[in-house]
Amino acid sequence: MTTSGHLLLVDDEPQILRALRPALAAAGYEVTTAENGAAALAHLASEACDVVILDLGLPDMDGKQVIAHIREWSEVPIVVLSARDLETEKIAALDLGADDFVNKPFGVGELLARIRASVRGRDRRLSGQAQFRSAELEVNFATRRAFVQDQEIRLTPREYDLIRALARHAGRVVTHKQLIAAVWGPQATVDAQFVRVLVAQLRQKLEENPAAPRVLLTEPGVGYRLATDEDA
Amino acid sequence: MSDMISNWVRRRPRLVGYASAILVVLLANLLALIVAEGLGYVRVSMIFLGGVLVVAVLLGSGPAYLAAVLGFVSYNFYLVEPRFTFGVESEDIIILVVFLAVAMMTGGLAGRVRDDAIRAQERARTSGVLFQAGRDFAGMDEEAEIAQRLATGLAEAAQGQAVVLIDGRCFAAPDQDPPDTLIDALAALEAPGATSAKVGDWRLRNLWAEGRRLGAAAWRSDDEPDGAQLIHVLLDMGATSVARARLSRAWAEVEATDRTQSLRNALLSSISHDLRTPLASIQASASSLRAFGDTFDAEVRNDLLDTIQEEAERLNAFVGNLLNMTKLEAGALAIQGVTFEMAESLDRLVRRFERRRGGRMIAIRVEGDRLAAWGDPILFEQALANVLENALRFSPEQGTVEVSLQRRDDMLIVEVADEGPGVRADELARIFEKFYRSPSANTNLQGAGLGLSIVKGLIEAMGGKAIARNRDDRDGLVVALILPSAKS
Repeated sequence: MTTSGHLLLVDDEPQILRALRPALAAAGYEVTTAENGAAALAHLASEACDVVILDLGLPDMDGKQVIAHIREWSEVPIVVLSARDLETEKIAALDLGADDFVNKPFGVGELLARIRASVRGRDRRLSGQAQFRSAELEVNFATRRAFVQDQEIRLTPREYDLIRALARHAGRVVTHKQLIAAVWGPQATVDAQFVRVLVAQLRQKLEENPAAPRVLLTEPGVGYRLATDEDA
Repeated sequence: MSDMISNWVRRRPRLVGYASAILVVLLANLLALIVAEGLGYVRVSMIFLGGVLVVAVLLGSGPAYLAAVLGFVSYNFYLVEPRFTFGVESEDIIILVVFLAVAMMTGGLAGRVRDDAIRAQERARTSGVLFQAGRDFAGMDEEAEIAQRLATGLAEAAQGQAVVLIDGRCFAAPDQDPPDTLIDALAALEAPGATSAKVGDWRLRNLWAEGRRLGAAAWRSDDEPDGAQLIHVLLDMGATSVARARLSRAWAEVEATDRTQSLRNALLSSISHDLRTPLASIQASASSLRAFGDTFDAEVRNDLLDTIQEEAERLNAFVGNLLNMTKLEAGALAIQGVTFEMAESLDRLVRRFERRRGGRMIAIRVEGDRLAAWGDPILFEQALANVLENALRFSPEQGTVEVSLQRRDDMLIVEVADEGPGVRADELARIFEKFYRSPSANTNLQGAGLGLSIVKGLIEAMGGKAIARNRDDRDGLVVALILPSAKS
């Protein structure tokens, strides 16, 4: 079996480690586990790692702190495990540089999809790919053009900035704050409401039925996600 | 009776002064008559002069003039030849003038001294009242208490009655209901632009502090003391104190809500954590089996199935605890009192923990045999399971949890000793409180703060006791469950 890469699983609940390990191994990952933040950081410092799965509630330090530490020197994809009701935690984690999150409890299928999207997203960004392509949508970053079902759609500059930000992270969640920074600039003080309005405009052009979006998905309370073919 | 007189005297100092002047002149007359008749010495004008002097010094100029005139008249009438006639000669005019001059000068001088003394006394009283009120205000946190004290101080300062109206509540001194018209007038002061008013002989004023109206006060004086300034200073002081009390109460409320809020958040997140962790394990295991079941070997499949089963049990235990808690709170727990062998319960329970203990050891020590207890074995095992769960959770990996059973008199004692960090002495009693989460312990190891409170509730419902202490041989906590032994 070919290896999908080295994966670091950080969670302080032994039963979660025990439940996840076989599936991750079956998906081709070499799994290392850590039960606290310090151990996770120590492992990352000494060994190359392709993706990190991180529980936000750790005994020795806040999971967000771990993310901040990792991001000081590493671009390794991070997928956060969190409870559904801790939205602010999730947003903070994403804004600190986590790539995506999975709500507890979760199925391994969902987790594996998020891991793959995060790894791919990193690859895409780092390799400076010129376009995003899914069955529905194509965004060409070089020519600033977008196509739905091979028909070009006309986008305002803001709409294009928004779709580009989402396409660059296709398959992964992008927070309101990150979208605001991408569209209005990093210093902008714009209400998340503006993002909602812009998304609604964009959906009119992208979606077959804007009321039941299939391409530009909402992550309630956190942000938005552009569907990849894997989501279909 | 004497009160009435002294009151009357206090209220009419002027009349008393003149009456005393007449009295002094009468006394002077008496003395002069005795001297004149007895000694035959008729040049007794000095006696009258002395009387005028006394009146002037003691009672001020007004009574002194009266005394001078009366003294002159009676001296002339009784003692100057021809006696018992009233004749004015040039010499008598001189005497009258001297009498009046003495009365004027002495009276004015003495009056000024007296007024100074009175003013000094008033000042002392003023600063005394203010000082005392200030001290009292500083020591009070209750708005009502301050308002009542302000009313008392105000009545004292005005030497009369006072009413303070704050937040629709009325505080009066002396303690009697003020007339309705006064209350209405006080309330009317709330109208914008109104600051003060007069109703009958009551004076009314608004109470202000930091630019806001707090209420109003009214006072009435029995006579006219010059304490107006004192009264206004006192009112301002009282208003400031009321404002301070309000502020500190508002602060306390904010702090209390903050505390409740953070307690609720902590509780919610720990309950959700306790429920969600087993659910997450179950779902991850089940979905793994569904997705990869064919590729897993038998051992992995079994392990995942074990996880599902154990986590379901853990979930069940947690839900059971929540239910028991509710029942204990509602007083709806039915105790099935039977005789049961405690050693068997221990054994059964420890076997139940076999899979959950990880690398930690559980050692059982039973002293004596035939240790039968009286109670509900199911509830007892539930309580002990909570204690054991805690002990394992706080124990280091590879640590040992010691469970011992012994009889002391007619009680059976089960002790569970762990090798964890123990509990601070001041928290030992509190760890049995519902939702208590030790601020000194690792937050991630703590649950919702239900386990031990249920232990206490269950054991006490069976007529027993749950006690916690720190180990004395090493770090670690000992929780003792004490149940009555069965009557044989």
